[in-house]
Amino acid sequence: MPARQLEAAVRREGGTSIIELRGEIDGLAEEAMNAAYAEAEEGDPQVILLNFAEVDYINSTGIALIVGLLAKARAARRRMLACGLSDHYVEIFDITRLSDFMNVFDDEASALEEAATA
Amino acid sequence: MTEQTPQKEPERPPEQRSRDAEFWAQRVERLEASEIPAGAADVNVRGRREVGALQGFGQLWQKTYRVRLAGIEASPEEVVRVWKEKFPEFQPPQNRFYPSLAGVAPGELLFISATVGGMPVHTGVRVIYADDVSFTVMTPEGHPESGWNTFSAHRHDDGVVVAQIQSLARANDPVYELGFRLVGSTAQEAIWTHVLKSLGAHFGVNEPVDLHKTCVDPRLQWSQTKNLWHNAGARSMLYTMGAPARWFGGMFRRRG
Repeated sequence: MPARQLEAAVRREGGTSIIELRGEIDGLAEEAMNAAYAEAEEGDPQVILLNFAEVDYINSTGIALIVGLLAKARAARRRMLACGLSDHYVEIFDITRLSDFMNVFDDEASALEEAATA
Repeated sequence: MTEQTPQKEPERPPEQRSRDAEFWAQRVERLEASEIPAGAADVNVRGRREVGALQGFGQLWQKTYRVRLAGIEASPEEVVRVWKEKFPEFQPPQNRFYPSLAGVAPGELLFISATVGGMPVHTGVRVIYADDVSFTVMTPEGHPESGWNTFSAHRHDDGVVVAQIQSLARANDPVYELGFRLVGSTAQEAIWTHVLKSLGAHFGVNEPVDLHKTCVDPRLQWSQTKNLWHNAGARSMLYTMGAPARWFGGMFRRRG
């Protein structure tokens, strides 16, 4: 299967910036991930939501990129949430203990509901 | 090989399984080794939980070490195959790695006996990811660092194969943080530089190692001060001091 280079789009819902990720998160995704995060930070949102619904591959370098974003968000005292992960990637978030610091939701609606009530 | 209480991914039809599923280790609550390689000690590995870059105490650093393997015929896949196979041999003398029989593969433990400032430190890491062009190890509680290292190779745009180590980690507790700030960080950088130089030498290359480091999170996580309890340095010292007693105990058991 050919590699699908990551595409990231940013939009806003209330006080939440949503980063929609499409494709593969590996070492080649660094530039797209960092650019999307920088765009998501504009407007000083309280919450940044990563939507993984269209992500079909994450390797360990990709997980490190996500950890890097999460660390930046924590340093700026923003909450980072995740949604749309397959069962497999929920497991990977557990293995790498990302889920200790990032709440994971089935879909965007439930994540936004949580973001609005927090 | 780790003897785990695996929480297996539910069986799914092959077409629904992620392409990377076979590269990831299974989740374990705590590390447990079914076999300990000769010469290794599992004293700071057995029963420990893994900790990532978010769980430790100190500043979070991302360090990327690269060496260009200019002129070699080998592919990135071949470089990583050799790297996995000779991982212990590429370490500096004060840093001994003991892989299991299965070697560098998802879920496998690598035991480490290092000497830091003249003191022995027994610890280890677990391989959480391994594919043809990379592998990643994650540290347990008590290890000097909390996080992981990814070892990889890729072909640069100019056609040269580049070998890379990327570390994303923070000191596990306040004592380690102090140590890293005083001398440990430089010592650690020397270790990974040595490993890349050794890898290059294996392929007949003597190129400089490039290091790029970024402080991802400068804050200290004071809530993680409790990690001191698992400090592998202190526990290794106690373990070493107890060696004569273990030796005598073993003698009496054999005679009895």
